[in-house]
Amino acid sequence: MSKWVLAALPVAMLGWACAANAASINAMVRTPDGIPVEDAAVVLNPASGMPRPALRRATIEQRDREFQPYLTIVTKGTAIDFPNRDPFKHHVYSFSPPNVFEIKLYADKPAKPILFDKSGEVVLGCNIHDWMEAHVLVVETPWFAKSGADGSATIKHLPAGAYRLRLWHPRQRAVVADVKVELKSTDAQHFDMTIDVAPRAVVKKPPPDAGGY
Amino acid sequence: MTVFRSLERRIAVVFVGLLVFVMVLMLLIVGRSSEVIIGAESQRQLAAGARNFSNLIERDRRQLELAASVLAGDFGFREAIATQDRATVLSVLRNHGSRIGARMMMILSLNGEVLFDTRRPAEASHTFLFQALLDRAKQEERSGDVVLMEDMRPYQIVIVPIMAPVRTAWVVMGFPVEDTWAEEFSRSSGLDVSVVSAAGGIRASSLPPALRQALTAVQWEALDEQPKQLTLAGYHYHAVSLALGSQARVLLMLSLERSEAVFRNLEHILFIIAACSIGLFVVGSFSLARRIAGPVNHLVRAAQRFEAGDYSPAATVSAPDEIGQLAASFEHMRAGIAAREQKISRLAYEDTLTGLPNRTRLTESLSALGPDDHAVIAVLDLDRFAPINDALGHRVGDSLLQLVGSRLLEIMPQGGMLARLWGDEFAFLIEKAEPETARQFAERLLEALRKPIDIDGQKLDVSGSIGMAFYPDDGCDMDVLLRRAELAMYAAKQRQCGCMFAAEVGEGPPPEQLSLIGEMRQALECNQFVLYYQPKLDLAANQVVGAEALLRWQHPERGLIPPGNFIPFAEKTGFIREITPRLLEDIAAQAASWRERGMQLVLSANLSARDLLNPGLVRLMRELLETYGLSPQALCLEITESALMEDPMLAQAHLAELAGIGLKLSIDDYGAGQASLAYLKSLPVHELKIDQSFINSLALSPKDAAIVRSTVALGHALGLSVVAEGIESQTDLDWLREVGCDIGQGYFIARPMPAADFSAWLTRRALI
Repeated sequence: MSKWVLAALPVAMLGWACAANAASINAMVRTPDGIPVEDAAVVLNPASGMPRPALRRATIEQRDREFQPYLTIVTKGTAIDFPNRDPFKHHVYSFSPPNVFEIKLYADKPAKPILFDKSGEVVLGCNIHDWMEAHVLVVETPWFAKSGADGSATIKHLPAGAYRLRLWHPRQRAVVADVKVELKSTDAQHFDMTIDVAPRAVVKKPPPDAGGY
Repeated sequence: MTVFRSLERRIAVVFVGLLVFVMVLMLLIVGRSSEVIIGAESQRQLAAGARNFSNLIERDRRQLELAASVLAGDFGFREAIATQDRATVLSVLRNHGSRIGARMMMILSLNGEVLFDTRRPAEASHTFLFQALLDRAKQEERSGDVVLMEDMRPYQIVIVPIMAPVRTAWVVMGFPVEDTWAEEFSRSSGLDVSVVSAAGGIRASSLPPALRQALTAVQWEALDEQPKQLTLAGYHYHAVSLALGSQARVLLMLSLERSEAVFRNLEHILFIIAACSIGLFVVGSFSLARRIAGPVNHLVRAAQRFEAGDYSPAATVSAPDEIGQLAASFEHMRAGIAAREQKISRLAYEDTLTGLPNRTRLTESLSALGPDDHAVIAVLDLDRFAPINDALGHRVGDSLLQLVGSRLLEIMPQGGMLARLWGDEFAFLIEKAEPETARQFAERLLEALRKPIDIDGQKLDVSGSIGMAFYPDDGCDMDVLLRRAELAMYAAKQRQCGCMFAAEVGEGPPPEQLSLIGEMRQALECNQFVLYYQPKLDLAANQVVGAEALLRWQHPERGLIPPGNFIPFAEKTGFIREITPRLLEDIAAQAASWRERGMQLVLSANLSARDLLNPGLVRLMRELLETYGLSPQALCLEITESALMEDPMLAQAHLAELAGIGLKLSIDDYGAGQASLAYLKSLPVHELKIDQSFINSLALSPKDAAIVRSTVALGHALGLSVVAEGIESQTDLDWLREVGCDIGQGYFIARPMPAADFSAWLTRRALI
C-alpha cells in the first residue's frame, strides 16, 4: 500500500518540472519510543508565494471492508473518487467541517467524485461498517509526502527557499510544531522527526463471514 | 407415686413420657437448628443477594452502555449532532434519549466541556463534573456509574463516545435512581434495597414509608459488606452496605422474619405432628397397656378370689403370649389348689369310714345357724354295737357302720345332714323341724334299723337309741346342743324307749360337768388323773393285805375333783373306756413296784359296766400281767352290783374269762343293787364288798347290823371273803372283826393317799 502511495502523482509531476535544480528532503518519523510511524503526513509549506497547483483527481477505494488508502493527502480542489471494490454496498460519509458529505449506499463507482475544496482534515467513515476509517488531509501546498511502513517520507524536486515543515498524523496525540527549513537548490536534507500516535483499531473489524460480508 | 401402682398406667406413663421427652428434645433441636440455619442461611442469602445485586448493577450498567452506544452510533443522531445547531442537537438528544429512557442527556466535547445538557438547554458550555468518569471512558471507550447530580439526586450515568467514525464527542446519558429503581432491584435480588447519599438522606428505597422513616434513625454508617444485625421498627434484618458509585451507598437488607417464616411454618407442622403422635401414643400405649394389664388384672382378681376361697374357674385368657402362658399356668395352679383343698377339706370334714360328714363338719353347720333358725339335732347310738364288733371283728363292725350309714342316708330328709360323730354314734341335723315331725322322723329311723343288716350273708339285728335336742330351745351353743342330745340318747338307751327329747331328760349334768367332758380328754393327755390308794386291812390278822386304787382328778384350776363328780359322767359318755386302761396299767405298774420292794399287796381296781362289757378287757389284763411280771392274784377287779346288772349275761361271761386267767374279782357296793342270790352264786368272784351305807349306820341301825352280820355269813357260805368299807370308828372295826368280816377299809383305818405316801404310812403303822 505504502509503495503505491509513494508513487503519488503530485510529487512525480513536480519532480519532473524542476528536475534540473531541485532539492529534496527526507523525514524519518518515529514515535518517542523509536518505532517507525506509517501514514504520517510530511508537508512543506513555502514561507511565501504559494504556487497554484493544478486540479487533480485521487481515488480512495473500498476494498475488503476497508478504505484504501488509510491516509490520502491532496491539494485543495482535488476531486476524489470512491470506487467500491466490495461485492456489497458502502455508505461513505464525512462529518468533518471542511467537507461534510455523504455518498448513500452505492455499489461500484459513484456517479461523480467528491470535490475537496477546503483545506483541512477530513475523516471518512462508512455508515454500515463502523470500523472503516479513512483520513484525507487537504493542503494548499503541492509539496507533501506520506511516511511508509519504515517511517520514511521523501519530498523531491523542491525549489530552494524557506519552508515550514509540518508533521501530522490522523491519530496524533499532540500537534507537532512546524519546523523551519531553508533549502538550497541541491540540498537533500534529512529530518528525524518524532510524533506520539495513538494506536488504531478503535473499532475492531469483525472477520468476514462465509459469504465474505 | 400412686400413678405407678397400676401396671397399666406405669406402661402408658413410661411410653408417653419417653415420647414426650424425645419430641421435646426434637423440637428443641429443630428450634435451635432452625435458628442456626436461619442465621447462616440469611447471611448466605444476604451475601448472595449482595453479589447478585452487584451483578445486577453491573449488568444494568452494561445494558445502559450498550444502549447508549447503539444510540450514539445511530447515523441520524450523529448527523444531527454534526450540524452543531443548538436547537437541533437538543431536540435529537431528547428524542433519542427517550428511546432508552434516559432522563438526562449531555454532549461533551472531547476535552470534557459540556456542550449540550437537556436539563439546562440554555446554559453555556461548562466543565463536566465527573472528569474521572470521563477519563475512564477515554480509557475504556465507555464508562458508567451512579453519581449525585448538582441537585444531589443520584443518577446512573453512562458516557459513550460519538464515533464519526473517529471519536468526535461524548454523549452522557443519565437515569435517575428512584424508588422504582430500588423496587426493581429489590424484586431481582430478593433483598430490600435503599440508596443513601454520602451526605446522608435516603434517596431511594424499596421499603414502605414507615420503615424508610425508621431507617433514617439507624446508624447505617456502621454497616459494611459484612452482614450485620439491624432492627427497624421492631423488625429484624441482616444488612450490608455496598458502595454505589463514589458518592452513594446502597443498603441491602434481608428480613429475618421472612427467612424465619418458612422455619416457623416447619416448626408449627412439627409441633402438630408431635402433638398428634403424642396423642396417638397416649391412646396406643393405654390400649397396649390395657391389653397387657387387663389379663394381669384379671388374674389378680382371680387370685383374690382364690384367697377368699373361691376356686371356681376363672375366665381364661387365651392370648398366645407370655400372659396367656401365665394364665394357663395360673389355671393349672388353680385346679391343683382346688383339688388339694377339696381333698384336705374332705379329710377334715369327712368321716373316712363311711364317707359321711364328721363331727367337725356337723359342728360347723350348727354354728352357721342364725338366731331365727329352727333345727333339731338327733343323735343315734347303736345298741349292742360293741359286742358285735368284739364277736365278729373290726372288719364286720366297720362294714356294719358303713351299711347303717347308707341306710340312714336313705331316709335323711331333704336339706338335712347326717354325720358320724364317732364309733357307733351318728347325728342328724335337720333344719326347720318341729317336735312332732322330729318324733316321726325318729320313728322312721328306728323302723329303718329294725330290718336286719346283711353282711357277707350274715344277718345282723341292730337297734339304736335316739336323743334329740332343738335349736334354739335346748341351747344355742353347739356343744351344749350336741351334749344334751347325747344325754337324751343315753337316757333313751337306759330306758330302752328308743327315742327321747332333751327337754324330757332335763338339763342333764350341771354346766360344770358339761365342760368337764372336753377337759377330761385333756386331763388324760396331761396326766391330771392320779390314783390314791386306800389300805385294806385283814381284820383277823390286823395286817394290811391290799389297797383299793381310787381315781382322783388333779384339776389345774379346780383342784382335786372327787370321783363322784366325774366318774358317773365318764361312765355315761363312755369316756371311761378310755380312762380305765390307763388306770389299770398304772395300778399294775404300782403293784409291780411295791412287790419289788417287798410289799405283797393286792391292789384293787374299780371297773364300770362299760369296762366290764369291753371285750378287750381280758386281753388287756393278760398283757398287763405279762408286761409287769405280776401274778394274777396281785390284782383284784371290783365291779359294782349295778354294773353287773346292765347286761348280766355278758358280765357273767366276761367275769368267767377274767377269773379264768386267775384275777381276783370283787362285787362292789353289795346290797345296793338288785342282784339275786342265784345270780351271785353263778358268778366266779372271790370277794363281796358290803355297801358302805350299811357300815356307816351299824351303830345306829340294828337292822343294818343284822344285814351285815348275815351278809358276812352268806359270803362265807358261798366261799367268798367279805370286805367292809366305810369303817369310821374303832367300835365298828371291833364289831366287824367279831362278826367275822375278813377285811376292813375306811377312814378309821386310813384315808386314800397317793402312792408315794402309802409306803411311808405302812411303815409308820408297822411301828405302832
